[in-house]
Amino acid sequence: MREEHKKAIHEKYQRVLQKGERFWPDSIYKDLIISFAIFLVLVLLATFVGVPGEPKADPSDSSYVPKPEWYFLFLFKFLAMYGQLPAIGKVEWIAAILIPVVVLVGLFLLPLLDRNLKRHYSRRTLALTVMVVFVVSMIVLTLLASTPLLADDTGRMTLPTQMQMWAGLFVPAAAYVVLAGLGLLVKKLGERAGQAQAWTAGVASLAMIALTAAVLVMVPPVEVEEVLVAGTIPEQITAGQDLYFIHCVECHGDDGTVTVIAGVEGLEGTVVSPINSQDVMYTFTDDTLANIINYGQQDLGMQPFGVAYGGELGPSEIGYIVTFMRYSWDDRMEIPEGAVSTIPVPAEGEVPSYEIHIQPLVQRYCVSCHRAGKENNNFLMTSYQEILTTGDNVDLNIVAGDMEAYLILVINGQQILDPAMGDLLVDQMPPTRLMPPEYIDSLTRWIMAGMPEMAVEAQALSPAPAAAP
Amino acid sequence: MWKKLFDWLDERLGLNDLYKATLDRPEPKGNWWNTLGSASLFLFLLQGATGIFLMVYYTPSPDHAYDSIQYIMNEVAFGWLIRGIHHWGATLMVLVVFIHMLRVFITASYKYPRELTWIIGVGLLLLTLGMGFTGYLLPWNQRAFWATTVGTEIAGAVPFIGEFITSALRGGSDLSALTLSRFFSAHIWMLPALLSGLIGAHIYLIMRHGESAFPDKDD
Ligand code: HEC
Ligand code: HEC
Ligand code: HEM
Repeated sequence: MREEHKKAIHEKYQRVLQKGERFWPDSIYKDLIISFAIFLVLVLLATFVGVPGEPKADPSDSSYVPKPEWYFLFLFKFLAMYGQLPAIGKVEWIAAILIPVVVLVGLFLLPLLDRNLKRHYSRRTLALTVMVVFVVSMIVLTLLASTPLLADDTGRMTLPTQMQMWAGLFVPAAAYVVLAGLGLLVKKLGERAGQAQAWTAGVASLAMIALTAAVLVMVPPVEVEEVLVAGTIPEQITAGQDLYFIHCVECHGDDGTVTVIAGVEGLEGTVVSPINSQDVMYTFTDDTLANIINYGQQDLGMQPFGVAYGGELGPSEIGYIVTFMRYSWDDRMEIPEGAVSTIPVPAEGEVPSYEIHIQPLVQRYCVSCHRAGKENNNFLMTSYQEILTTGDNVDLNIVAGDMEAYLILVINGQQILDPAMGDLLVDQMPPTRLMPPEYIDSLTRWIMAGMPEMAVEAQALSPAPAAAP
Repeated sequence: MWKKLFDWLDERLGLNDLYKATLDRPEPKGNWWNTLGSASLFLFLLQGATGIFLMVYYTPSPDHAYDSIQYIMNEVAFGWLIRGIHHWGATLMVLVVFIHMLRVFITASYKYPRELTWIIGVGLLLLTLGMGFTGYLLPWNQRAFWATTVGTEIAGAVPFIGEFITSALRGGSDLSALTLSRFFSAHIWMLPALLSGLIGAHIYLIMRHGESAFPDKDD
């Protein structure tokens, strides 16, 4: 830059300042208003949206689909799309390193690279239009981030995937080439080059946005399933209790008192220390308990439960079980209010519903055995549908209004014998100890009333309360 | 009385000169787009303040990081508010700094004599993203763990020295306690120190050259 240009710039600036204002008090109030508004927005976000819960990190669960902070999503999507390109897509470092580094160096050195002395928008069309296309492509890539890139049976990209590739890669790339080409022609075309650039950027942006909108309509983004995250202590205790009843009762009993295991194949008669005792609670820290659950007690007969060792429980879940055990059985701890979850029992004359009464009951007493992968005559009980439609004796298990239904018989302590052979078909349920009478009653009344799922259905079935005199 | 006190202090501290240099500066007629820089500064300070409060309870170890965050959210009075502000503040800061950059770009304010202001600004943008990246791991939850695993893996694509960079970031071949302590010290000491230094330089340059005017037809 020549000295005369610099001088002109300084003189121009001094003239502008003459007509200008003072930082204090003319413009600082705007800064303060904006800062205060930002603060308010943050307080509102923190209060009404909060920070979404997430389970604890589990290094062994590599099935987890990683999701970076939203402001890195565009880069991830760019890498994923680039990887779909034939041939060049295999050279990962071009997209992962070379292109970002070139963009960054360009950004750093922008003031040195941009030798254009002009500042008005109409004379910087190249810089402005390139930036517009760049920012729009960033937005588009971010919006498409959770739409998968798929191939059909023959290995070709599906139509929505091709549209994504155009929106995120090809259209912007073509636009940069055209914009740069027009930039070289400025001398020849004059004013018209700038107009052509503005049109190019506009059309390219519209095309990218339209393609993205179409893809989002055609392939709605996948909903991520919510994972159970218990925050407060009472929530953790409840979650832990449910997990304990699914995974531990068969050996340690409802309340951790079992001393001799009964009814578990291969462990019949094994002596265990009651895990609710002071002995266990006082000598084992939370970490030790978590480790026992995680690694199991292999040589003594307790299998590992941690995902890392072939079990089903992640670190958060193991933590909840430990919290449940600690607060329920350690007499030095006081159980916080609202922490014990009780299974609701229907009132006199009320018809129980799956939603309110049966689901928690089954969860507590039956699901530990009646879920996939256990021995249970293929009778699964983890959802309403399953309860009604699975089981070797599905036609006889649950029959609306029939007191002789198998399920009602077995929970009342009867055994079902095979009508043909006469040997034992179904034992009493649960096999080791029957449920408390109020729960047996609840389950019985549910079947007698026709197994309503929702509370409203159950209410419709309940006899109308006698009209007041 | 007040006048006397002020004069006494002014004589020693140079309050009047300070006032002239920082607040009583002449500026071209501005508009609301000029507030984004100071909004970035405000967010930086707010992140610093809320971060210091979070530090009181946060423990940077894989065994306790997650639980200490749970504790902050559920047990500490107003812990949820402080963490909520810090969480959303990070998001907003990235957004505001980026839009600030766009406005500077669009008004061509990076041209002579403000080239250095821009170059330092790009450094600030990178450091802000670095703060986001390192802070993301600290709660040690599934999302954080796996996003960081993939994020550090990308560095592995650098030809020849990729492996080295990845293991330098992670402090080993896998994410571990070492990774957490590296990210933690980067997040609370190294990057903020760099950021405050560069913000100081950025703002010094802005005062020195003055706020640029919006370009008109002759520019
Ligand atoms: C297949 C049967 C079985 C299951 C299921 C089982 N355990 Fe065990 N558990 C055992 C056996 C056997 C021992 C070892 C006996 C002993 O040390 O007293 C044991 C030991 C323990 C101990 C240590 C007791 C001590 O004094 O050393 C704890 C604590 C424990 N189990 C908790 C649990 C929890 C919590 C669950 C549920 C996640 C569970 N167990 C599931 C069989 C089982
Ligand atoms: C300790 C494990 C265990 C628990 C807990 C348990 N069951 Fe079972 N259940 C079994 C097994 C094993 C069978 C297979 C028949 C047998 O061996 O007795 C079975 C079979 C059944 C059947 C017959 C299914 C068919 O189609 O043949 C019914 C009905 C049943 N259980 C109901 C229940 C109910 C209701 C509960 C909860 C109150 C429950 N069970 C809890 C282990 C269990
Ligand atoms: C932590 C991040 C940042 C902070 C705290 C910050 C702060 C500020 C402040 C207070 C101003 C003056 C007010 C204004 O014009 O808005 C300013 C101006 C400026 N900033 Fe930043 N900034 C940051 C990031 C950036 C980035 C990422 C860039 C560009 C890459 C940048 C480039 C500039 C330039 C060139 C000016 C001069 C503008 C003019 O004179 O009109 N800054 N910055």
